[in-house]
Amino acid sequence: MSNLVPISSVEPPVAVWSQADATNAKISLTGKINVYSLGGVWTQICDAQDAWLKQGANQSLVFDASKVSSLDGAGIAFLISIEGAQQKAGGKFEIVGLDARYQPLLKEFDPITNLFPVPAIKPKTSFIVSMGMAAQNLMDDAGGLITFTGHLAADLVWSIRNIKQVRWGDFVNAAVEAGINALPIVGLVAFLIGVILSFQAAIGMKQFGAESFVGPLAALGIVREMGPLITAILLAGRSSAAFAAEIGTMTVNSEVDALVSGGLSPIRFLVVPRVLAGILVMPILTLYADIVSIIASMFTMLAYGIPFINFYNGMLSAVDLEDVGSGLLKATLFGVVVSAVGCLRGMQTGTGAAAVGISATRAVVSSIVMIVLVDGVFAFISYKTGF
Amino acid sequence: MDATSNNTSNTPYAIDVQNLAVGYGSNVLMKDLNFTVNNGEIFVILGGSGCGKSSLLKNLFGLYQPLSGDVLIEGQNITAAQGVARQKIMTSFGVMYQQGALFGSMNLLENVTLFMQEYTELTQNQMDLLARCKLDLVGLLPYETYMPSEISGGMQKRAAIARAMALDPKILFLDEPSAGLDPITSADLDSTILDLSKNLGITFVIVSHELASIYAIADKVIMLDKGAKGIIAEGDPKVLRDSSTDPRVHQFFNRIMSKDVA
Repeated sequence: MSNLVPISSVEPPVAVWSQADATNAKISLTGKINVYSLGGVWTQICDAQDAWLKQGANQSLVFDASKVSSLDGAGIAFLISIEGAQQKAGGKFEIVGLDARYQPLLKEFDPITNLFPVPAIKPKTSFIVSMGMAAQNLMDDAGGLITFTGHLAADLVWSIRNIKQVRWGDFVNAAVEAGINALPIVGLVAFLIGVILSFQAAIGMKQFGAESFVGPLAALGIVREMGPLITAILLAGRSSAAFAAEIGTMTVNSEVDALVSGGLSPIRFLVVPRVLAGILVMPILTLYADIVSIIASMFTMLAYGIPFINFYNGMLSAVDLEDVGSGLLKATLFGVVVSAVGCLRGMQTGTGAAAVGISATRAVVSSIVMIVLVDGVFAFISYKTGF
Repeated sequence: MDATSNNTSNTPYAIDVQNLAVGYGSNVLMKDLNFTVNNGEIFVILGGSGCGKSSLLKNLFGLYQPLSGDVLIEGQNITAAQGVARQKIMTSFGVMYQQGALFGSMNLLENVTLFMQEYTELTQNQMDLLARCKLDLVGLLPYETYMPSEISGGMQKRAAIARAMALDPKILFLDEPSAGLDPITSADLDSTILDLSKNLGITFVIVSHELASIYAIADKVIMLDKGAKGIIAEGDPKVLRDSSTDPRVHQFFNRIMSKDVA
């Protein structure tokens, strides 16, 4: 406990229990009865009272408050707790010598039975019920996602037809925040991924003397898969969470309600600029990540004795523009998904400060799940069509 | 036994403000403030919107550091106090913020017991009972298990008053307690404040605009003015209403529209 509080044992106890026999007992109060001085003493008195109450019936307890110099709300609560225990056991209770000015305060709490609520028993939910509720939640969530997708699609079409009415200021802010400010971290992660990827591949390839094929392998992997994926996951961690927190705070502060009651669509107003920003920055960031990663890979292979020109020629033989295009198209889809999911989670925010944190977490988790889903679907289509 | 016997200090004033200047950086809202609040008094700070009432209050209880000057709480200088000494002064009063500022992740009972858990040696059951008493005083006993987000704004304010009273402080700072409350709840709150002041000798420092409430409870008011950057009137609110010659004070107490003042 805190060192600020005067320990009650240093001073004489403010309450003393004395019992004449099994049916008569007295509690004498002295000095200042407050929330600090009652610490410990309260428990002692209650324990003594409990032990005494077990000894007989029709017991009467006298509370002698004549030596009290001051009594505050905690003192009143102490009186009430003793009186409550006495009432419960069917005994008598009397307060003597309490200064008149404390009486009105004591009366405030009549009847005191209200202060001792029966603890509510939580209804138990069976496994089947909770499973059903979880399924229901999942369905609701999916329903919300589908509705939101529909609204978003409609509003994106609207924004193409009413290009001047889009909130371009918000779009620029979101694009700067999600794009330009993300360059350092995307560059760092892409560089490290490039090094690690080619280094790991080189260890395996070296056994067959095939280090020269690491370049084409790494480059193809980077432009088709790693570049878009890494960038999307970073965007999910940075911007999806930021969108959710931003819109979530607006929801908590009723700002979204203010938009709706003003006849404006929150999706058009808040979501469309952010999704457009996501669509713009994702391919650019991905291209940047691809380039940084491939350069990192080139330097790594130099350590294995593969000159730049060999790496370059090997890369050109394996990677063509279609591969880069496929990666960038996928990145654009990731951009839509990540920014839209962030906004959706923001709009679904409940109330209170904790809700914003929950929304941001959900935004990141859902974004990553959606990235993987989209990636899977894209891989299937790409396998079928050869793109 | 007099009404102020709960106050252990020997100082005549609960709060003593000396040459206080309030503001933010180079923006001085008020300067050369000197006033005292007596023990057990209900002291109300008045003034138009934006004149710095809430800022003054936050300077009084040490949340913001004043530009200059001192605030003595029960004889102890809160402006200069540091560390444990400062924390000790901080536990001698309770604060209700304008928006309630309840902890959103805790229910009402937990909100009230939080400070008790940190500063007292009571058991959880004892703290719960004590917290229920506080909630009962503000009429929220049936709502003890509700989360702050599940109750109305007025109820949040009342719960915040219950939390401010958790450690039975000698001074309570209330920032607009009755704004946004219905007349009945507001009258109930006034009577609770009067009870606490009369029976427990608690000193109240209240920021308020509600004239009806001010007449009902205030022992003393000070009126602040944006233009004057200081106190323009001090005293009993009814006396000020009936006999103040200052046109700004007259206008405030008699609810006269700006355009009607020549």
